[in-house]
Amino acid sequence: MNPIKKLDASLSNKIAAGEVVERPASVVKELVENAVDAGSTKIRIAVAEGGLQSISVLDNGAGIRLDELEAAFSRHATSKIQSDRDLFRIRTLGFRGEALPSIASVSRLTLMTSPDGAEGGKIVLHGGEIQSRTQSPPKQGTEVIVEDLFYNTPARLKYLKTIHTELGHISDSINRFAMAHPEIAFELTHDERTLLKTSGSSKLLQVLQQIYGLQAARGMRRFEAETDDFTIEGYAGSPVDARASRSYLTFVFNGRYVRSIPLAKAVQAGYDQLLPIGKYPICCVHVTLHPLLMDVNVHPSKLEIRLSKEKELQHLLEETIRGVWNKEAVIPSMQEPFSREEPTVSGDNASSSREKAPSGKSEATSFDFFYPSEETSRNGTTEAVRETIRSQPETQDIPERRAAAASPDRSSAEVQEEPAVSRVPELHVIGQFHGTYILAQNDDGFFMIDQHAAQERINFEYFLDKLSSPSREMQDLLVPITMELSGSDAAFIDENKEVLAEAGLVLEHFGGPVYRIRSCPVWFPEGMEKETAEELMMELKQHQDLRLERVREDAAAMMACKAAVKANHHLQNRDMEGLIREWSSCRQPFTCPHGRPVMIHYSVYEIEKMFKRVMN
Amino acid sequence: MKFTIQRDVFVQNIQHVSKAISSRATLPILTGIKIVAFDDGITLTGSDSDISIEAFIPAEDGDNSNVDIERPGAVVLQAKYFADIIKKLPESTVELTLNDQMVTKIRSGSSEFNLNGQDPDDFPRLPEVEEGSQFTLKTDLLKALIKQTAFAVSTAETRPILTGIHWGMESEKLMCTATDSHRLAMREAGVEESGDVEFTNVVIPGKSLTELSKILDDSEETVDVTVTDNQVLFKATNLLFLSRLLDGNYPATKNMIPSQSKTNIQVPAKQLMAAIERALLLSDGKNNVVNLKSLNENELEITSVTPEVGKVTESVSCDAFEGEELRISFNGKNIIDALRVIESQDVAIQFTGAMSPFIMRPADRDYMLHLFSPVRTY
Ligand SMILES: Nc1ncnc2c1ncn2[C@@H]1O[C@H](COP(=O)(O)OP(=O)(O)OP(=O)(O)O)[C@@H](O)[C@H]1O
Ligand SMILES: [Mg+2]
Repeated sequence: MNPIKKLDASLSNKIAAGEVVERPASVVKELVENAVDAGSTKIRIAVAEGGLQSISVLDNGAGIRLDELEAAFSRHATSKIQSDRDLFRIRTLGFRGEALPSIASVSRLTLMTSPDGAEGGKIVLHGGEIQSRTQSPPKQGTEVIVEDLFYNTPARLKYLKTIHTELGHISDSINRFAMAHPEIAFELTHDERTLLKTSGSSKLLQVLQQIYGLQAARGMRRFEAETDDFTIEGYAGSPVDARASRSYLTFVFNGRYVRSIPLAKAVQAGYDQLLPIGKYPICCVHVTLHPLLMDVNVHPSKLEIRLSKEKELQHLLEETIRGVWNKEAVIPSMQEPFSREEPTVSGDNASSSREKAPSGKSEATSFDFFYPSEETSRNGTTEAVRETIRSQPETQDIPERRAAAASPDRSSAEVQEEPAVSRVPELHVIGQFHGTYILAQNDDGFFMIDQHAAQERINFEYFLDKLSSPSREMQDLLVPITMELSGSDAAFIDENKEVLAEAGLVLEHFGGPVYRIRSCPVWFPEGMEKETAEELMMELKQHQDLRLERVREDAAAMMACKAAVKANHHLQNRDMEGLIREWSSCRQPFTCPHGRPVMIHYSVYEIEKMFKRVMN
Repeated sequence: MKFTIQRDVFVQNIQHVSKAISSRATLPILTGIKIVAFDDGITLTGSDSDISIEAFIPAEDGDNSNVDIERPGAVVLQAKYFADIIKKLPESTVELTLNDQMVTKIRSGSSEFNLNGQDPDDFPRLPEVEEGSQFTLKTDLLKALIKQTAFAVSTAETRPILTGIHWGMESEKLMCTATDSHRLAMREAGVEESGDVEFTNVVIPGKSLTELSKILDDSEETVDVTVTDNQVLFKATNLLFLSRLLDGNYPATKNMIPSQSKTNIQVPAKQLMAAIERALLLSDGKNNVVNLKSLNENELEITSVTPEVGKVTESVSCDAFEGEELRISFNGKNIIDALRVIESQDVAIQFTGAMSPFIMRPADRDYMLHLFSPVRTY
């Protein structure tokens, strides 16, 4: 056995690097965090070969004092935390003093900095060892160049993916920074090609457009709300533009991008059934809270946080998002002409007091790569975009914290009090297509309604009303319903018998894999006791707690589907008009309970365009 | 084929066989009515996967002449068009003529239709009813048996066996049982001409029996019933009604019925029904839960609460009360369904505590029994 020995600095840095620096994207992330913490207003990131050959991050921030240059590379050296107390009120992105030494230990690193624009210093490290310490041109800010990443840790190198994948991670990381800090101008280039360029104009919607495109940005709706503990604001993407992955959700807590499954679920829940199964909206949420309420120090990548009062925030978010879409008509349509008026959400004007980024130095102009530039961005729509986005009155400066107009309680109350004005436009039936779609028209154009989906929506709301019984009553069954359960399900049921009984579902083991339902809640739809019981168990299994509303919704959706007229069913004009009338008065008419659209709209303009009656 | 027929007789029989025709038939030809003209009358046949109905219209019926048959023959005509056409024709007689191309000319007064027909040989033959258990029922008794049980079948397709009515015959007694597992209805009938037939686990689709009950003519005295392994045939003078039986084992219902009781009451059926009907006014068709409480020896209290709507309190005086105090909840709609088919003035109800099923039956008869499982709070 070897004697116990304190690790030498370079070895312990390498070990730490294993945690902090997983892949090129982690280097980029750490360096950009430092640049943000330094109060920069412009940050340029250039990478070559997916970051493996080189990564350079240039900022115009506060710089590092030349006499502290070496210290920045010793472990646990940070200017950001001075005492224990500070650890619980972290406002900066960095706080551990680990990033620079870790990165330096697994690469060849060059750092040039000038804290005042008067004199500059340069330091070069290889594998964590200082190679040289010289002067550099006095250019306000800091530039870090990381080359030959992982050159001395071949094992790590082996696990890296293709350049394409690594670049994807880097680009995602910068996108998140850009959304978290719309007040900072970011530019990301890879092998000289520009991947993202934001203006630093503080307009979040503009950033979202740069990242997700014009179509998506146009469908977005701004929201904001606050409680005593949280202020939230951001943009929620239209359900029409929903994507197949959760990664289109961005949560920013006090300027830090974090991942949060509970919040993702809250957003999803806020869309109710507007989303198809397995689809997620594009959504960016900025949360402002006292740093004491969140613990950042739970994960080496600082990507996860532990939140106090998470339930409160979830609720606030869910209700706010619901409030957004409850008022909207969500009708998928062909792309519309730009001239269309956007609904004005609130009376505030966009150009009001624009707060400066929280930067120490402002507008130091050491580079010239920033917006505006005549060059178009990658989707070639910059000009048009600027046009549209400017015309949206709800565009707001994100870092600006305004007294939020709507508290969540009020917004949900509003929803209920709203008079039963239909959000479906007045329609005139023209006919039916393939026994499946109702064709209709009005001054705005041409509409197609999926008759099955419309019927399903009507039935769903009917059944949901029927099922929404707050009573705790259960019906004993004269003839118990038998169900067979797999081994693991059976074990789960045995363990959770009490919980299920608390919800009114009484099961008994009948022998072998067979269980019997002895009693079920009175709200269980007749004939669907078994399916509903299965839903209930699934719900319990997945969420550990039983949210009966969810089970009820699923049950109502099943019933709605069973009861709905199937496609390929010929309807008389009178029947179609009746169906549309009934459907129009639904609370959430635009999607079927499974989130598929009920109605599609073709504007007159669009149709004229197709026939080349108008050119555009 | 060529015949002239009294329109009203024709319409009525077409309506009868139409009960067996579904627009969603799996075989296209089954959306049609098969018409066969014999020398002494014509038959109409309709059939779907569950039931087949054949109606015979005799040429002469006592002193009346129904049909005048010129030429026998057969054709299948689309039920949808055919039924509507015959109903709307102007005169009291209709003439049908079939040509070689299966086109049927329908004439009545000034109106003439030519309907494309289908080959009657393509129409599936009615399944032969081989020898089975045979007995005879009085028509009014059969109708009563159906009425008093069919309402209790399950409408859910998830447990198909419960959509049927169980028939069992033992020592000249026919026992009919239906349950949707919230309530159960049983009706017993003595069958004199049972011919020593005994059987059990004969489960007839509730829908079949309801349809049968609708088309059975009250003037008809008796109906012959033949039960085989997989079907049941009801035979009246000019009607054959064939239904398939449901597969599977009907649950053992005998042991569901409690043999003892803790509280026995007797109440006037009309008052009880009216009180529950009012109590249900608030429940908006949702759960139909009604609470019953014994106030004293002479009085019951019926309440129902729908939190968003309000509360209702009803009091019902009872003719007799015996045993423990009582507080129980149940589905009020199920009780009403049962009360509707109980023809007696008073009903007797036997409770065995709030957690157990309870029995209701006519106070003066014991051939009928209704069982209800309570609703409990969790
Ligand atoms: N771009 C920069 N501009 C100004 N100062 C910087 C910059 N990069 C690093 N520094 C200084 O160097 C110190 C060390 O940086 P490092 O990233 O290693 O630690 P940290 O940011 O404090 O914590 P963490 O390990 O959580 O990132 C920082 O505290 C900061 O003072
Ligand atoms: Mg850092």
